[in-house]
Amino acid sequence: MRRVQVLLAVAAAALGYGAYLAFTAPLDVLQGEYTRMINIHVPTLWLAFLAFGITALGSVMYLIRRTARWDRLAASSAEIGVLFAVVGVFTGMVWGQAVWGQAWDWGDARLATTAVMIFVYVAYLVLRQSIADPEKRAKRSAILGIIAVIQVPLVYFSVYLVRTLHQTPSIRPDGATMPTEILVAMLVNVGAFTVLYVALLTGRMYVARLESERASERALAGEAVSNPRLSEIQDV
Amino acid sequence: MSLWKQSVEIARVDLLVESRLGDSLKIILPFAIIALMIFSLAFGSDLISIGNAGPGVFWTIAILFGMQIALRAAALETEPRRDLTALLGLDPAARFLGRSLSASLLLGGFMSVLFAAMLLLFNPVLPTGWLWPVATSLVLSTIGLAMLSTLAGEVTVGLRNRTSLASLIVAPLVIPIVVGASQVREAMDRSSGILIWILLLTTTDLVLLVAGVGLSRPLEEASR
Repeated sequence: MRRVQVLLAVAAAALGYGAYLAFTAPLDVLQGEYTRMINIHVPTLWLAFLAFGITALGSVMYLIRRTARWDRLAASSAEIGVLFAVVGVFTGMVWGQAVWGQAWDWGDARLATTAVMIFVYVAYLVLRQSIADPEKRAKRSAILGIIAVIQVPLVYFSVYLVRTLHQTPSIRPDGATMPTEILVAMLVNVGAFTVLYVALLTGRMYVARLESERASERALAGEAVSNPRLSEIQDV
Repeated sequence: MSLWKQSVEIARVDLLVESRLGDSLKIILPFAIIALMIFSLAFGSDLISIGNAGPGVFWTIAILFGMQIALRAAALETEPRRDLTALLGLDPAARFLGRSLSASLLLGGFMSVLFAAMLLLFNPVLPTGWLWPVATSLVLSTIGLAMLSTLAGEVTVGLRNRTSLASLIVAPLVIPIVVGASQVREAMDRSSGILIWILLLTTTDLVLLVAGVGLSRPLEEASR
């Protein structure tokens, strides 16, 4: 628990510095104040991709090692990934409303495929909730966790595959297509949000371990304790 | 018995059960055609809009109703039947392949009839030389949908909320197939290459095949 507190403190400090850089960086002439959205939009969606990748990794490792820790990693990462993906899509919609004139554009393949990706992981979380037996739950959700990750490359490559409003990546092997101050602020925020992700993941895994311990204690008590019969009480 | 023979045998039994029950032919197919008619009625008398919307409506209905056909085989799987196949020493990969094969054949028939109905009811303007590219995209998307639905059916087998949950799993994951299949015709309209979309469909099918075969043993363990 101490580790989570330390990570959260580091994340808060990094996010504070990231916010300072975001508000002091120059603005794009056309986008104005909405330029600053990039400091939340890009980090949250990058972390959603990372989180879903970690879910797939945890799922593969669970099927190899069969230890509950990997299952907890996969499940916790999926929950946080959904949270970050929703924030990322929402900030994209706010930006789209201001810059494109509409929040949701079917011409934007990235927006549509990202929204669909969220539903894949919502289904993953619903599947977990639907199975009471921990081992069965872990095995079935590990399988879905592996299959679900096929959506991630589709979202990434959608801007190349389909005619779309969404721009292609701004950071390329031949250099960035944005001013250095904006780029630095965005990268610092990516780092800060990544620390936040690690903190949330560690905390959620800790809570998941406590939940499974409580569930197993409940099951033990349920098997050992039964209601006393009235006749037995009278005998005493 | 080789893996292929086991798969064919499973597919044969699934198709036999389906031919006796006939739900796909008697219930799901007519329901899908009615859905096509409802769509065309909902568009009013704007014949140009109806014609333009035809292929899109076809894919919407084909995916939503098609997944119900593909999920049916897993729904009929009972605990004793699973125990029996396990005791017979059946390869779990053969079960996945056989089930996907039977679902592909059923879906292939379903989609062909539905496509013919769409041509009749919506009268869309199709680009010249559309038959082979569209047929190829239909076959590839049918195989992909069948494998995806088989996987979703296996993951949710025995659950109380199985029907709705399996649909929730398949619907978003089927997006690469929908995009690939619908873009084949659009690419022909634009006179651009269709190879990339055929490649997308083939890659999706291969990924699902590898995932299905590779995960078949944990799938069998998880479903018991």
